[in-house]
Amino acid sequence: MRSEPILRLEGVSKVFGEFTALDQIDLDIHEGEFLTIVGPSGSGKTTLIRILVGIEELSKGKIWLRDARIEKLPANLRPTCMVFQSLALFPHKSVGENIEFPLKLRRQNPLDRKARADELLDLLHLPQSFYDKRIHECSGGERQRVALARALAFDPEILFFDEPLSALDFRLRKNLEKELKDLHQRTGKTFVYITHSLEEAMVMSDRIAIMRSGRFEQIAVADEIYARPVSRFVAEFMGEVNLFSVEGTASGTLVGTEVDIRVASADLGSGMNLAVGVSATLMVRPEAVQFLSGDDDADFMVEGLLKAEYALGSRTQYKVEADNGDELAVEKLREDRFSGQVGDRVRLGWNVEHAHLIRPG
Amino acid sequence: MSRSARIALGLYGMLAILFLYLPIISVGFASVSKARYLTFPIKRYATKWYGKAIESSTVQDLLVTSLSVALLVTVISMVVGFFGALAFARYQWRFRGTFQKLILLPIFFPQAVLGLALLLWFNALGIIPSWKTAVVAHLVWISPIATLIIAIRAYSFDPALEEAARDMGASTWTVMKEITGPLLWPGVVSAGLFAFLLSWGNFPLSLFTTGADSTLPEWLYAKMVSGYSPLVPSVGILSIFTSIVLLLVGVIVMWIIRARSEASSANAR
Repeated sequence: MRSEPILRLEGVSKVFGEFTALDQIDLDIHEGEFLTIVGPSGSGKTTLIRILVGIEELSKGKIWLRDARIEKLPANLRPTCMVFQSLALFPHKSVGENIEFPLKLRRQNPLDRKARADELLDLLHLPQSFYDKRIHECSGGERQRVALARALAFDPEILFFDEPLSALDFRLRKNLEKELKDLHQRTGKTFVYITHSLEEAMVMSDRIAIMRSGRFEQIAVADEIYARPVSRFVAEFMGEVNLFSVEGTASGTLVGTEVDIRVASADLGSGMNLAVGVSATLMVRPEAVQFLSGDDDADFMVEGLLKAEYALGSRTQYKVEADNGDELAVEKLREDRFSGQVGDRVRLGWNVEHAHLIRPG
Repeated sequence: MSRSARIALGLYGMLAILFLYLPIISVGFASVSKARYLTFPIKRYATKWYGKAIESSTVQDLLVTSLSVALLVTVISMVVGFFGALAFARYQWRFRGTFQKLILLPIFFPQAVLGLALLLWFNALGIIPSWKTAVVAHLVWISPIATLIIAIRAYSFDPALEEAARDMGASTWTVMKEITGPLLWPGVVSAGLFAFLLSWGNFPLSLFTTGADSTLPEWLYAKMVSGYSPLVPSVGILSIFTSIVLLLVGVIVMWIIRARSEASSANAR
């Protein structure tokens, strides 16, 4: 889906007094993509999106929408629209009036407005009877749909989302995530979504940008971020992970500096090359770690004590304590449950294709 | 709840209500007494003092003065309060904290002191006190209250509503007309009601600042001190009725606002 960027940011910074909320951000957003910006609270993602829609002014930098510079343009003159975290539905207007609001501002005639509102209610699986409802009569999920319909009525070049699903309960959120992805495909619009939930990002996005302290830590497709994070921060942010401090050795392999990792072969391939004495972080996801039995071998091996077992529904998670006291996580599908008992001494192993070396930045 | 507790609570409630309303009711009795001085029990009733009150040109003048002051104070407080509340609650600006404290300070001043201070100030400026200066005096005390009432309303709605409207293309004026105005309107109406009632019943500020003019409460006091007749309580009761009428008007206005906003969405089809 490579195309000319619809939105381009160059050196965008935002300073609040002494505090730098955004630090020289560069970003290209492509036409029609679903980009999710993920970060913990305080990482600057909300500030960024508010600058992109024009509610907040930037301190420095340039923003292009296609060929036009827009960083000085106020929000009401930008052809973009945002779904707010609080949804910001107008409580004194009906569902229909909310959806028609952007059309009313454009002085579209009432009949066309009504027709478009009906279309959008349909698109968002809301019955026509909702047109006359008051906002306070709608449930949380229904309000999400109304807010989305209103934003689509605006027909923006880019649709921004400021974690609108965060207040919903788990099941409804999961459903709406999928619907949102579906809506993205059907409308073909560019969606930019911010959230602190990586799961949400993984389900919906074409690309994910991980934000930390006002900068992007990594921007890539979901799988890339999951399998090959550029930093410990990204690795830990992307769910449960095992991280080991390692160092290059003279024999061309790696040695664990905290947990005792045994490396089976001297040649691990170029991905694992590390100069002598240079330290890095070795990463392996819990689902890639195997329980080794008998004289099974793996490229990387760790011994430890099985401390606990947690049933997670479709999967089972194990905590294994290595000899230095560090804990490792292992995850198996329910049907591949490990037969050992808590308290057993176990051998864990994984192969080089599941390992990833995070080199010092 | 036990039976005895219910009875005790009911009794307590009755006493509280009696305590609050008995004085007003006794004014009512005094106004319909035929005797020149109030004595209980009332021996002979008469309503002639109401007729006299309505016919009296003095009372008519008082009414006009009091109404002029109260209505002017109401309108100005609503306007000042509306914009004051926006500054108080909606916009982030440098001296907002200072503004929030300073604007409320006049409420804490004893009104007699405030009245005296304003009188001295008018004298210093060479302004001759009249009902117009009383308007200014009332405003000093009442417009902060109006601001506060509207600000509470302004605090209760999500700033994102205005941002969202703006984001969808609304100009500053349209945001005011479509979002801020309608959402603050109930607060503005109740601020207006309060402003009227507070001005209508105000005595200490009027006493210092009306000069040769006189408002209803001032006259009531003056007549109490010398020249009492049942005309005094009759005028008092008439003044209470004015407040009640206004309160009803306010309630009806609120009710119309609500009904209209509901009807407008139903009629939109």
